[in-house]
Amino acid sequence: MDTISEIEVEGAALAAQRRHVRRTPGSWVRGGGFSTFVFMLPLLLVFGAFSWYPIVRTVVMSLQHTNLVQAPTWVGLDNFSRVIHDPQTPIAVKNTAYFALLALVFGYPIPLAAAVLMSEVRRARGLYSALAYLPVVIPPVVAVLLWKVFYDGSSVGVFNTILGWVHLGPYPWLQSQQWAMPSLVLESTWANAGGTVIIYLAALTGVNAELYEAASVDGAGLWRKVWHVTMPQLRGVLLVTMILQIIGTAQVFLEPFLFTSGGPANATLTVLLEIYDYAFGNSLGGDYGSATALSLMLAGFLALFSLVYMRATRAWSQE
Amino acid sequence: MKSIRMVTAVAAAGLLAVCATAAAVGSTTKSVTISVASLIPGSTAAAIQQFNQQVAEFEKANPSIKVQPVEYQWTGPTFAAKLAAGTLPTVFEVPFTDARTLGDNGQLADLTAGVKALPYFSKYNKAVLAEATDAKGQIVALPKGAYAQALHYNRKLFVQAGLNPNKPPTTWQQVEADSLAISQKTGKAGYVEMGKDDNTAGWILTTLVYALGGRMEKGIGTHAVATLDNPQTVAALNLLHHMRWTDNSMGSNFDYGWSDINQAFAAGDVGMYISGSDVYTNLVQASNINPSIYGLAPLPLAKNKNAGVLGGGTLAAVKPTANAAEKAAALKWIEFYYEDPLISKAQAIRNAKTLVANKQPVGVPALPLFNKKQYDLANTWIKPYINVPIGQMKPFTTGIFNQQVIPEPEASTQSVYHSLDAVVEAVLTDRNANVQSMLQQANTAAQQAISNGS
Amino acid sequence: MSDERSTQLISPSEWRRPLVRFGVGGAQLLLLVGLVVIGLGPLLWLAKSAIMPTNDTITHPMSFFPHGAAWSNLREAWVNVDVGRYFWNTVVLALGSWVSQLVVATTGGYALSVLRPRYARVVTGLLLTTLFVPAVVLLVPLYIEIVRPPLIHHSFINSYWAIWLPAGASAFNVVIVKRFFDNLPREIFEAARIDGAGPFTLFTKIVLPLSKPILGVVSVFAVLASWKDFLWPLLVLTDPNKQPLSVRLPTIQSQTELGVFLAAMFIACLVPVAGFLIFQRSFLRGSGLGGAIKG
Repeated sequence: MDTISEIEVEGAALAAQRRHVRRTPGSWVRGGGFSTFVFMLPLLLVFGAFSWYPIVRTVVMSLQHTNLVQAPTWVGLDNFSRVIHDPQTPIAVKNTAYFALLALVFGYPIPLAAAVLMSEVRRARGLYSALAYLPVVIPPVVAVLLWKVFYDGSSVGVFNTILGWVHLGPYPWLQSQQWAMPSLVLESTWANAGGTVIIYLAALTGVNAELYEAASVDGAGLWRKVWHVTMPQLRGVLLVTMILQIIGTAQVFLEPFLFTSGGPANATLTVLLEIYDYAFGNSLGGDYGSATALSLMLAGFLALFSLVYMRATRAWSQE
Repeated sequence: MKSIRMVTAVAAAGLLAVCATAAAVGSTTKSVTISVASLIPGSTAAAIQQFNQQVAEFEKANPSIKVQPVEYQWTGPTFAAKLAAGTLPTVFEVPFTDARTLGDNGQLADLTAGVKALPYFSKYNKAVLAEATDAKGQIVALPKGAYAQALHYNRKLFVQAGLNPNKPPTTWQQVEADSLAISQKTGKAGYVEMGKDDNTAGWILTTLVYALGGRMEKGIGTHAVATLDNPQTVAALNLLHHMRWTDNSMGSNFDYGWSDINQAFAAGDVGMYISGSDVYTNLVQASNINPSIYGLAPLPLAKNKNAGVLGGGTLAAVKPTANAAEKAAALKWIEFYYEDPLISKAQAIRNAKTLVANKQPVGVPALPLFNKKQYDLANTWIKPYINVPIGQMKPFTTGIFNQQVIPEPEASTQSVYHSLDAVVEAVLTDRNANVQSMLQQANTAAQQAISNGS
Repeated sequence: MSDERSTQLISPSEWRRPLVRFGVGGAQLLLLVGLVVIGLGPLLWLAKSAIMPTNDTITHPMSFFPHGAAWSNLREAWVNVDVGRYFWNTVVLALGSWVSQLVVATTGGYALSVLRPRYARVVTGLLLTTLFVPAVVLLVPLYIEIVRPPLIHHSFINSYWAIWLPAGASAFNVVIVKRFFDNLPREIFEAARIDGAGPFTLFTKIVLPLSKPILGVVSVFAVLASWKDFLWPLLVLTDPNKQPLSVRLPTIQSQTELGVFLAAMFIACLVPVAGFLIFQRSFLRGSGLGGAIKG
């Protein structure tokens, strides 16, 4: 091993040079500053205009009353107060939590089990993967509209017909306050589980085979190998996909909007839908202040949740 | 008045001068282009063709104006977005419920001068014109059509259920009984109520309540008081509850909106429903309805002196950002497309001919925009061209003029409807819905919207 | 399939035990049947119903052409509903978003990783913060910004730029590309620099060709995200002629008879499904995140 490589020596020399160079526009250009800036430009412009500026604006607008005809006025925490006291808000929060919970129960373990089974398929694993991923490829709007047809509540609806074959009565699906949300979760799981399966599958094939061999030598049976080798190895992926799924489902909009418009009787009203209603739902003009206030509250909650989550799981994942 | 006449005269002279110069020069002069609301998305090719023919006719008569049709449908949620974005066509349509507030907020062009200069200005139905006049007395739109709510029924299902298609129900007990008969004998839904969360559920419930004699508001403007939880509303909801849960005669779909209930009706799945008296046009244009199944009856009214039929309508308005030339052109288009067919014999006949040629409905019953005399007169003009089953609509056309037409709730109409949406949906989807508490919540929400002027 | 080796969770000796072979094998078979019914079933129903007369689909949805097929559904969907145009719009939107994302992620990642200006730390910090901000926060102000841009007094409603440009602001993309560039061996850069390559040449001739894997991942994400996009195009594209399928289909549902509507949906599925079947390998590898997330 060399004590100091040539590159390091050169690097040190360059650094020393930089320290002694006075920064003038000329030297900046000559030092490559201009071309660097040119490369940074797309990122700076796009993020500046469409990411950082809007984030700042959200905070500002949540403290203002904006109607696009006159100049905005400052109203302090009025918008937040209005949102908190709006009877629809607790309903939306409860529904969103319900959706996220159901989605976790259905959409989390099942793809994992499927992926584990698939990882051990000897022949034609590609077929399994393709079939699992197919629903993900369908445009989400088409999936929702298709399932809306399936969910027709009359006895000749598609699902009711199929269930009728085994003498299970016609169900109201989207026309019932109890059934509406589970129906949404079912379609959402169908449309998205495939992606999770593939992620798990990729992670599973990355597990070191020697670990399994060692476990077998130690006399571990199948279940123990899964529990003590596979799961710990997958820990990172599992934790990341869980938090990503929670953050994603907390912002669900498409399904409640297209399936039920938040109904029946607000049974599928989610936080995003409420934000949409605030901003775009009134034919006379939107309440942008309340919409941004609620957006911030949701973002704040998710940020807090992520922090707590990462703290709590750090212990588990850093064994 | 004199100054307005002078202004109009000068403007007319100016226009004449421009046209004369154009004719003299014979080359392309300054032409004005305006975009106009045409038909709702998904309309049939024939309907679109008919519209384009009218555009061509207009452009021929007004060579300096170019018209661009833009697909358009007013719905509560989407209008605000278009308004904010400024993407409304130059001439667009708004319901009676919103026009005045929009005018007050400066979001509709002031058309007072041009409207008052119209030769038939004095013939307008005052109540209708009031819907288009803002708080400052400026006229901000012209009426496209007025309707009264009506009961649409499927004659074929009536016959199959053993009911007389020429004797539609005249009381709400009869509606209940007929609904039960239809659902039992044909397996299709009897009476169906719109339940969608886009204000249509509240709109139909309000109609039902009016028909029983109740009102949703007392007073006007931001000082109005919401009275959503009046006894007639409770009675209406109980009626719906009975038909839904005891009789089970309302079918299995409770989130119909304005367009989808029309679609379902045309497909033969709905026995009776309430909607505007003018929906036959949409039934033809969007769903290709078989005319023989269509029946139109006036809403059954309770024996209560306050019972009346909810009336509404649509207005044609102009973008406030239109310049003078565009405004003048827009007004000309509004006159040509919306007003002339009702007031000018020649135009009425030409219009009817174009519609018939493209198999579009002529003669759909509406409420008079002008006085009744004019209305009857206009109907005689187009009589030879009527191609809708007018005989099947007789119960309505004879009965409506005996009914009291009541305008929609004046203050924050759409918000009032929206707060009722959830109540209707709850009653239709939950057997044990707590109607009283939901109505109280709706009332509070509506009162808040009224006080805010939203 | 050479890189999809079995995990050897189940060792060869275990496979020989009948309980394992039939138990796991049985479970796998059940899974396959389940996948076919659940994954493929709805699509097959859609294909069948696209050419079945509306009345038959409504009254007997699970039947198989009791009164013959109605090919006219497809024709009407293509001509009247004009599925082709909306599909084309979807493609154009996806292409533009893809280019936008690639440009921003590669140039930004390159600058942050290789060129390293003094302000790189600030920018990276901002990016990471953005990563944790959920999309909902941007919705309303971005909309207002498109409707009333601060400096330019012209609304960008109905302009495809309103979709393409914001799509580029994906912090996730920049982060994974930067990480990839970080892992490229520095010696190659030094060698090129010594040979006299400037930053542009370095970018185009060295870095980009080496980046195919990560560019593949970004591309898959970009295209999929564009397909899934509904709310933003709904708000921004109010002119029906500009709308992609995802926005147009729900709007016309109540004016279109069921058979024709299903035919339109079927046509809308054709290209993505076909594309998937052909480019399966890249899709699946990209979606497995190509090892971007380590266990």
